[in-house]
Amino acid sequence: MDKKVLPVIEFKNVGLSFDNNEILKNVSFEIEAGQFYTLLGPSGSGKSTILNLISGQLSADAGEILFDGKVINNIPAESRRVNTVFQNYALFPNMTVFDNVAFGPKLKKMPKDKIKAKVREMLALVKLEAFENRAIQELSGGQKQRVAIARALANEPDVLLLDEPLSALDYKLRKQMQSELRAIQKRLGITFIFVTHDQEEALAMSDWIFIMNDGKIQQNGTPVDIYDEPINHFVADFIGESNIVNGVMKQDYLVSFVNKDFENLDAGMKPNEPVEVVLRPEDLDLVPVEQGKLIVTIADQSFRGDFYEITAIDDDQNEWKVQATNPSTVGARVGLDFGPEDIHVMRFNESEDDFDARIESYEGE
Amino acid sequence: MLLVMILLYIPIIFLVVYSFNGGTIMSGWGGFSFVHYQELFADTRLLKILLDTFILAISSATIAAFIGTVGALFLDSLQNKKTLNTFLSLNNVLLVSPDVTIGVSFLILFTILGFSLGFVSVLISHIAFSIPIVLLMVLPRLREMDNTLVMAARDLGAKRGTILSQIVIPEIWPSIMAGFLLALTYSLDDFAVTFFVTGNGFSTLSVEIYSRARQGVSLEINALSALMFAVSLLLVFAYYLYTTYTDKKARLTK
Repeated sequence: MDKKVLPVIEFKNVGLSFDNNEILKNVSFEIEAGQFYTLLGPSGSGKSTILNLISGQLSADAGEILFDGKVINNIPAESRRVNTVFQNYALFPNMTVFDNVAFGPKLKKMPKDKIKAKVREMLALVKLEAFENRAIQELSGGQKQRVAIARALANEPDVLLLDEPLSALDYKLRKQMQSELRAIQKRLGITFIFVTHDQEEALAMSDWIFIMNDGKIQQNGTPVDIYDEPINHFVADFIGESNIVNGVMKQDYLVSFVNKDFENLDAGMKPNEPVEVVLRPEDLDLVPVEQGKLIVTIADQSFRGDFYEITAIDDDQNEWKVQATNPSTVGARVGLDFGPEDIHVMRFNESEDDFDARIESYEGE
Repeated sequence: MLLVMILLYIPIIFLVVYSFNGGTIMSGWGGFSFVHYQELFADTRLLKILLDTFILAISSATIAAFIGTVGALFLDSLQNKKTLNTFLSLNNVLLVSPDVTIGVSFLILFTILGFSLGFVSVLISHIAFSIPIVLLMVLPRLREMDNTLVMAARDLGAKRGTILSQIVIPEIWPSIMAGFLLALTYSLDDFAVTFFVTGNGFSTLSVEIYSRARQGVSLEINALSALMFAVSLLLVFAYYLYTTYTDKKARLTK
C-alpha cells in the first residue's frame, strides 16, 4: 500500500448560497503541500468563493473544510495559516512599502530587528530592495503587485492564495510575473492556489488545474491531461480552441461524425451511443482535396503572427477552425486531414470518476 | 451673477468700513479711527463671551465628530438596506428641520427633566445638531472605501480594533476633519437653538449681539463682526487648502 500524504487542504461536500443562489454545489477536493494549483473558470463560476472559504473571509453553509487534517470552518480569517494576494493589491495607502510588508510580522509581535530582516528578505525576493521607504502612491502597477506578494509572504503562510493577481498588468509584465511567481513558489516550496480566468496562464503555470463552472469542479488534472482529454463540452471549449461536432460511437475505436466513419482511440461506451467529438485546430492539416478525410471550403483567414487562423466550412455547413503555418486562399476547396489520435470523444453528462474509470478500463488492457 | 455677489457683499463691506468710523452711530461718518476696536478689547464681558463661544464650538464639534463617526461606522456595518435607509431619513429630517424647532424642543426637554440651563445645556444641543452633519460627511467616505483593505488586514492577522485604528480611521480621516470643521462653523453661527436653551448668564456671541442690538447697534459690534468675518474668511481658506491637499493625495492614491 502507498503511504498517503496528508493533504494540506481538503474540501468535503462544501456548499454555499447567497439569497437562494447556489454559488458552490457540493464541492470536494484535496490540495497537496508544495504544489502550484490553479482554479480556472469564467467569472461567477465560484473560483474566488473557494479562495475566500480557504482564507476565512466567507464561511460555508454545508460541508467541512480541513487544514492539516483539522476542521477549520469556525476558525476566523486572522487565525488561519494562509495569506492572500488580492486582485486590486489592497495595499494600505497610508503606509510606506516597508510598513505594508511589516504589517503581518508586527501583529505577531516579532522583535523589531527581526521584522526589519524579514521585510528586507521579502522585498529582495520580489526584487524591490530599494523601495522600502516609498509611498504606495509612487509605485507602478507591477511594483504594487510585487509589494502585495511580499506582504502576503512575510507572514510565512503554509498556503498562499492568489486571486487573479496578474489581471491588471499588461501582457509583457504579466508573462514576466508568471515566471517569477512560479520561481518564487519553487524556491519557497509552499503551496500556491492561483485563481484566474485566463486559460493560457493556467496552462503555463500550474502543476494541477481545477476547472470550475456553475459552482462545480468540472475537471481536474495536469495541464496536459486537461488539454488532451477534456471531459465535456464546457472544458473543451474553455481550454484552448476547439472544433466540437455531434457524433455517434458505433463501437469501440470507431466513431461516426459528419456522415463518415473514423477510426479513433476511444472505447468503453455503449454501441451507437451519441457523443461529442473534439478536434483541436492545430491538429487539423489542410491537404489537396483527394487526400482529405473531409472536403471543405475556406471561408475566412486571419494572420495571427505565428500562424494563420482559418475558418473552413464543410458540405454539411459545419464550421472548422484550422491553425496553419502557410496561408491559403479564401473560396478554395481543400481537404482536411487528421489522425485517429487527434479525435477526442466526449460522452454526455459523464462524471469525472466515471471518465477516469472508463479510461482505466481500456488503457489498462 | 457678479451683481448678486456685489449685493450680497455690500452690507458686509459697509459693516467693516463703519467699524473704523470715529463717530458713534452708523448714520454719520466721523473720520477714520480705531476707537471701537479699543472699546472692544476693553469690554471684558464681550471678550469672555467670545472665548466661551469658541470653547463651545470646539468642544461640541469634537464630541459630535466622535459620536458622528461612531454612528457612521455603525450604519455602514448594517446589512439590512431598509434599516439603513430608515436611519438615513431620520438623519436628514434632523438636518432640514428648522433651528427654532430644535431649540424649542430642547427647551421643553430640559424643562421636563428639570435640567438647569447654561453652558452644558447649550453644549448638548449643539452636539445634537452637529452629529447629523458629521454623519453626512463620513458615511459616504466609508461606503466608498475599498473593502478589500479590511479583508487584507484580516488576512494578515489583524483583529477588529487594529483594523479600525490602523486601516479604517486613517482612510476616513479627511471626512471626519471636514465634518468637524463644518460642525465648528455651524456652532459658531448658531443663534436660534442657543437662544432657547441658554441661561444662567451663559451667552454666545450671536445671542449677545442680538440682545445688544435691541438697544441700538453700537459700533463696537461692528468692530467685533468685522473681526469675526476675518476669522470666517481664514477658516474658509483653511478648509479650501485642506480639501485641495487631501484631494490631491486621493488622486495620487488612485
